[in-house]
Amino acid sequence: MIDTPAQVESRPTAPSVPAPEVPRQPRPERHPEEGTPDPVFRVKDLSFYYGPHQALRDVSIDIGAHEITAFIGPSGCGKTTFIRCLNRMNDLIPGARVEGEIDFEGRPLYGADIRAIDIRRRIGMVFQKPNPFPKSIYDNIALTPRRNGVKKSELDGLVEESLRRASLWDEVKDKLQQSAFSLSGGQQQRLCIARAIAVRPDVILMDEPCSALDPVATFRIEELMAELKGDYTIVIVTHNMQQAARVSDRTAFFTVDVSDQGRVGVLVEIGETSNIFTSPEDQRTEDYITGRFG
Amino acid sequence: MTARRIRNAAFWSACTLAFLCVAAPALSVLISVFHQALPALGWSLLLKRTNGIGIQNAILGTLVMLLGVLILAGGVGVAAGIYLAEFATGRHERLLRFFSEILAGMPAIVIGYIGYITMVVQFHWGFSLAAAVISLSILVLPYVVKTTEVALRQVPTFLREASAGLGLDSTTTVWRILIPPALPGIVSGLIVALAISTGELAPLLFTAGFSDQNPSLALVHHQVPYLTGVIFTDLALPGARAHATSAAAGAVTLILLIILIAVGRLVSRGARRATARMTI
Repeated sequence: MIDTPAQVESRPTAPSVPAPEVPRQPRPERHPEEGTPDPVFRVKDLSFYYGPHQALRDVSIDIGAHEITAFIGPSGCGKTTFIRCLNRMNDLIPGARVEGEIDFEGRPLYGADIRAIDIRRRIGMVFQKPNPFPKSIYDNIALTPRRNGVKKSELDGLVEESLRRASLWDEVKDKLQQSAFSLSGGQQQRLCIARAIAVRPDVILMDEPCSALDPVATFRIEELMAELKGDYTIVIVTHNMQQAARVSDRTAFFTVDVSDQGRVGVLVEIGETSNIFTSPEDQRTEDYITGRFG
Repeated sequence: MTARRIRNAAFWSACTLAFLCVAAPALSVLISVFHQALPALGWSLLLKRTNGIGIQNAILGTLVMLLGVLILAGGVGVAAGIYLAEFATGRHERLLRFFSEILAGMPAIVIGYIGYITMVVQFHWGFSLAAAVISLSILVLPYVVKTTEVALRQVPTFLREASAGLGLDSTTTVWRILIPPALPGIVSGLIVALAISTGELAPLLFTAGFSDQNPSLALVHHQVPYLTGVIFTDLALPGARAHATSAAAGAVTLILLIILIAVGRLVSRGARRATARMTI
């Protein structure tokens, strides 16, 4: 049932997507304190507000290239809010406000000259519930590249390649014109991953991608993440600590800080996944991972 | 046990009575209109114009006006509905909604009168297709706006997020992602607008005029015949023949309405099927 990695090994060729408007910068140098080689995102003192309500306070974090970084923490700790800051999805929420800095490949993500839709082409997103378009399997993948100017003659190849990389090709190759809703939940989620890959992003953000899936489908998505990590930087929010432990290279633990001002999400610590789960520096992390709260 | 039976019987009689209250007037109108129209019904109705004993010109005039309303109220209304559902925020949204609600509550006769003093008199268009279509469109615009907005709001948010997450621009998001699933709802709103236009008289009395000739497509300076005009004027004329023509125009109007309602039903059934497919 499970596809062999051979099908997904080859790096996509022919960069037929027009060059995005955000110019690629040489990667910044190693950041000694954080120990993250080659950070793609550098976040400094990020605070986030929904109207008057503060949802995140002073988050500073580096996210390394070609790594899987997992965000864990109890409900309401702001991990989903934070991941949505990384591709400016929060721009869509009226009254939402960001303070602090996020650098993406050395340039300010919220800079005045940067358009959110260009950012989102570079930073793909997979959502909690599979959200395919009510179109055919083929059109789900092809719609965005077609809009981005990929030539018609190259579309078939791009669709196949994206589906192969999402290890879905063998299951759908004979029914590309059928509705995406005819697929199972796990297949739909892999279709959404393929759809994100087809835009050729650098980063894929995954917001609890397995929370609506059964264990088998979850296992396949986790396998897929390990395969994709060679080519993409992956950031995943998960409620499932075992999942974070299984798939991620580095883990960030968020929690809710309750004070007189109300409840606000804070980053407790980030480190190598093995360290976070065996010898965390902060007592709150230890309490969480040992199941004392959350 | 008996008490429950009595309550049950009382409830069912109330339901039957309510059903009769709705069905009886509708049926009586249908029966009486078709009964009175009987002497005039025949192919000559479609082949002759109102200077003979037919209503060909009125049928064509009504159809031309419906086409105009479809283009004008359809275009403006769908655009405004899209704007309200997807883009408008804050003051713009409140203003647009406010004016749309005012329009929805405005009496048809007032719209006709305003159309008369502005377009017919002030602009020197005379009784004309343009004045009639614009007045009718203003009348039905709020329905089109509302149904378009509701149809778009029923499209699940996850599709907007998916589209934004891929970096698709808002034009693509609206036209390629949101409109297709909302289309059946939008179309059935347009059909309701057309049904209202078919049966309206008040705004046309002041704006369309009347003519025994078949309508031309000229926008101004040409009067337009229409079905409800025949119903209204011929009923006031002396003679059984005029009354029969009036009833026949009424019958044709009803047939047109029934066709529109049937099409609307078909479309909204399609809408329900489309939404059923969307659930995951």
